[in-house]
Amino acid sequence: MDWHQMSILSGGVCTLAIFSFLIKENPFYRIFEHIFIGIASGLGAVMGVRYFLWPEIIKPMVGKDIIVFPDGTYSKPYDPLYLLYLFPLLFGLLYYFIYSKKYGWLAKIVIGFSLGASAGLAFKGFFAEMVPQLSSSFKQLVVFTEGSFDLYGTASNVVFVFTLLAVMYYFLFSFRGEGLAHKAISGSGRWLMMICFGAFFGSTVMARLALLVGADPVSTE
Amino acid sequence: MGNLDRRIIYLLVVVALAYPLLEKWSIKPARMASADKFFTIVESLAPDKSLAFVALDFGPNTKAENSPQAEVVIEHLMRRRIPVILFSQYVLADPFLKSIPLKIKEKLEEEYQGQTWRYGFDWVNLGFRPGGGLIIQSIPKSKSLQEVFKVDANGTPLKELSIFKEDVPIEKISLLAEFTGLVGAFDTYVQFFQKADYRPVFGHGCTSITIPEAYIFLDSGQIKGLLEGIAGAAWYSQRLSQKYPNRGKDDALLINTGLGIAHLLLILLILVGNLGENIGHIKHKGGVG
Repeated sequence: MDWHQMSILSGGVCTLAIFSFLIKENPFYRIFEHIFIGIASGLGAVMGVRYFLWPEIIKPMVGKDIIVFPDGTYSKPYDPLYLLYLFPLLFGLLYYFIYSKKYGWLAKIVIGFSLGASAGLAFKGFFAEMVPQLSSSFKQLVVFTEGSFDLYGTASNVVFVFTLLAVMYYFLFSFRGEGLAHKAISGSGRWLMMICFGAFFGSTVMARLALLVGADPVSTE
Repeated sequence: MGNLDRRIIYLLVVVALAYPLLEKWSIKPARMASADKFFTIVESLAPDKSLAFVALDFGPNTKAENSPQAEVVIEHLMRRRIPVILFSQYVLADPFLKSIPLKIKEKLEEEYQGQTWRYGFDWVNLGFRPGGGLIIQSIPKSKSLQEVFKVDANGTPLKELSIFKEDVPIEKISLLAEFTGLVGAFDTYVQFFQKADYRPVFGHGCTSITIPEAYIFLDSGQIKGLLEGIAGAAWYSQRLSQKYPNRGKDDALLINTGLGIAHLLLILLILVGNLGENIGHIKHKGGVG
């Protein structure tokens, strides 16, 4: 049995162990659940060191990325500026003071920095993502294609704009609406959302079945 | 019907899914308009001027959908000799970055005797890089990809690889293709993989569960082509087979057939279950009345 066959076999055993939960909760399932969590955590740490910490930070810092040619010359000179990486590296390590009662405040500086940076990124990302969507929601209610009336395009845009307005109206809680028009628009918004949730659920079922296919090593190897 | 043991339902679903896969039986997939758009985008790329940046942000959990999607698109790019730069911001994607292009290379070299597809010329694997949105943001901000990545997944300096002989700024990337089931990973490309005056054509492959969200980006024009779950991959595969008739069957068509059969079974069970439940309810009411 070669490595490939062994990997397929072990994959099969692991899959069956997890699927055994479908029959009932059992120790076999529990053991493999813990193995998976352990592997995922370990793999994440190793990959972080292998693909980032070593090649991007430590290797250039200690000059290990410089190749020495047979004639004794170097591929590039050592750049001492890489030692500046030590400052963010040490700053990041302050996070581990979270385990200390006395110096726990040091970890808060790192957390604050991370929160600030994440908020800044999210703010920038929000506009880059949402503005095109907002502008694309302004649609023509009567569509003409190559000079002639486009029934499909018109119907599609009317449904889109009505759904957008009805669902937004449903979530207006600032005032108490009354009357037939309010009930009709708000009720339509609710029904349209129900249809949307149905589509979401259908696609969720489809994705779950696809996961089952992914567990079959024969089909996708 | 209400008393049917759920384990019997599981068994029926497994049989319905497994039969087409084991028997290698596939049926013609349904036409997917957004997959057609993706196909047309790749067809329109000029082989001598274009570069494709392909992000595989999926792991074993969604490989049944994302892997066939990535395979058909990369196969199409490699058939058209458009250099592919592979990258991932998802740690578990690492094995796929290596195995998928190699699998396609073998397939193509078997089909086109005498022709070769070589690492460094036809594709480069930049590997997994941690940092998520930060690393994606640094791509448009830098002078070139070489400045951000420096080495490939094997530790080879990028300047030693043919694709990177010249500087590759974001403006040289004609197509950005991203395959994932993670909405967060996809968002980072929408948000940051662009400059004020340049944004590459963006094609996306999503899992079934994220289709409704992906449609929003398709409607707004932020993505130009979309592979919706395995159905999108199957239609793309069909289009490839129409253009290249000597091409063999692939996983996309088989998985799509299996899923289609399983869906029919589920619809049948839902209908029969609801019908049985309602008949029982009416009988019960009638008995009481």
